[in-house]
Amino acid sequence: MAEPLSAEKAAAIAETDFAAIVRRHQAMVYSIALRFLGDPAAAEELAQDVFLQLHANLNGLKSHDHVKFWLRKVTGHRCIDFRRRSRLPQVSLDEAPEPAAPVQTGDPLLSRRLQQLVASLPEKARLIVILRYQEDMKAEDIADVLAMPIGTVKSTLQRSLAMLRDKVTRTIGEVAI
Amino acid sequence: MKKLSWLILLLALPALTRAQDVKIPPDVEKLSAKAKETVEVTMDGPMLRWASKFLSADDPDEAKAAKLVANLKGIYVRSYEFDEEGAYTAAEIESLRSQVHGPGWTRVVGVRSEHDGDNVDVFFKLENEKMAGIVIIAAEPKELTFVNIVGPLEVDQLADLGGEFGVPKLDQKTLPRSQPKAQGDHK
Amino acid sequence: MSVDKDTSRLEDALKIALRRQQPPDEFADRVLARAITKESGKPASRLPWLRIFTRPIFAQPVVRWATAAALVAALVGGGIYHRHVQRQRAEGEAAKQQLILALRIAGSKLQLAKSKVQHVQDQTENQEEKE
Repeated sequence: MAEPLSAEKAAAIAETDFAAIVRRHQAMVYSIALRFLGDPAAAEELAQDVFLQLHANLNGLKSHDHVKFWLRKVTGHRCIDFRRRSRLPQVSLDEAPEPAAPVQTGDPLLSRRLQQLVASLPEKARLIVILRYQEDMKAEDIADVLAMPIGTVKSTLQRSLAMLRDKVTRTIGEVAI
Repeated sequence: MKKLSWLILLLALPALTRAQDVKIPPDVEKLSAKAKETVEVTMDGPMLRWASKFLSADDPDEAKAAKLVANLKGIYVRSYEFDEEGAYTAAEIESLRSQVHGPGWTRVVGVRSEHDGDNVDVFFKLENEKMAGIVIIAAEPKELTFVNIVGPLEVDQLADLGGEFGVPKLDQKTLPRSQPKAQGDHK
Repeated sequence: MSVDKDTSRLEDALKIALRRQQPPDEFADRVLARAITKESGKPASRLPWLRIFTRPIFAQPVVRWATAAALVAALVGGGIYHRHVQRQRAEGEAAKQQLILALRIAGSKLQLAKSKVQHVQDQTENQEEKE
């Protein structure tokens, strides 16, 4: 019969797990915050707070999928709370310093414009668009994370896309969309 | 659905009271878009206590303020300054005033001044004959201010607000219990 | 049909524009340092890394590695914690200024109310005198 883990060993393993979780999910959490808040410094602070909250609640999480769900949920809620609490001014992405980014295929001008437009969406719509296109989540999964009806998620997504399409075409002109 | 679930929660748990029971209507919040200068302060109990830690015990004014704030549950301020007169409507003022209702609230000052256009309402909330909150709505030609201070506030503590940080003293004797109205038109 | 094609292109463009970005290089270290700093409020016996020093001598290679890691974390954590405290202080000062501003505004509007009431009372007294 296997020997049960001592408390110290369990704690040490838990710390190692936590470090691994941070490294695995840091891009996800940070990016959701960055796309939502438009401010790299605020995004980093928020992301740190999310992981610290995770650290305090690690025992309650059952699986890797649960951790991912939990992180997305908490990050989303914290983004909305952060904005409401701090009345963070809308930071133009033109003014914010460029964070380190992987090489992107596609039109950089278009990407930049889309990032700005997404950052200008109403809060809930912004979060839905980020979860859909950054995290590639389905509407039902987004509805679970945000505790919203699926219908609301879908209609918000449709309206947001229509608005984005319209604004991108008007400001950039004949860009291939 | 979410609004309904909140309503049910509030009805089911009467002991669970939110610090700010006077809401700022959305159409008033939107005035910030028209204002040349906006001040928005929203501080609930924990935030107040945290901020008050940074008030200096060595500064007599800040020390008094820390003592006052220690008992408060919230301070909420919206102040909008406009370039032109007529930036807000009578309906918007009325929507603010209508928020101050419910048990314990009394309007103790309601002044309408035709000659300079300044209109001020002061409401007290009393619980067990003690101040539990104050709302001030000041509608001036180019400025609209809403102040809600929530908490077990003694009237003399309120008077102590005056004289701090350059704020004039409020004389309790001159603040009537009932509401006098100025002669003149209303906004 | 062309709307569907447009939507599909827009969605592809959004996926590119909203691709995940890595946080700054030391992000994970900062999180771990803060987590350690929070943990350090608890009794020392609960700190797992401290237990390393009580392990049997035959575990030395592990002890050396873990000790080095702990020292690095402490050094990094110490500097980062200091910056964290400075940031907290700045945020606290900002909150204090907001509080003072709120009290100032409340006071000035109360004074406005008082002056209006005084004006009314003066007017009433003057009228009574005339009568």
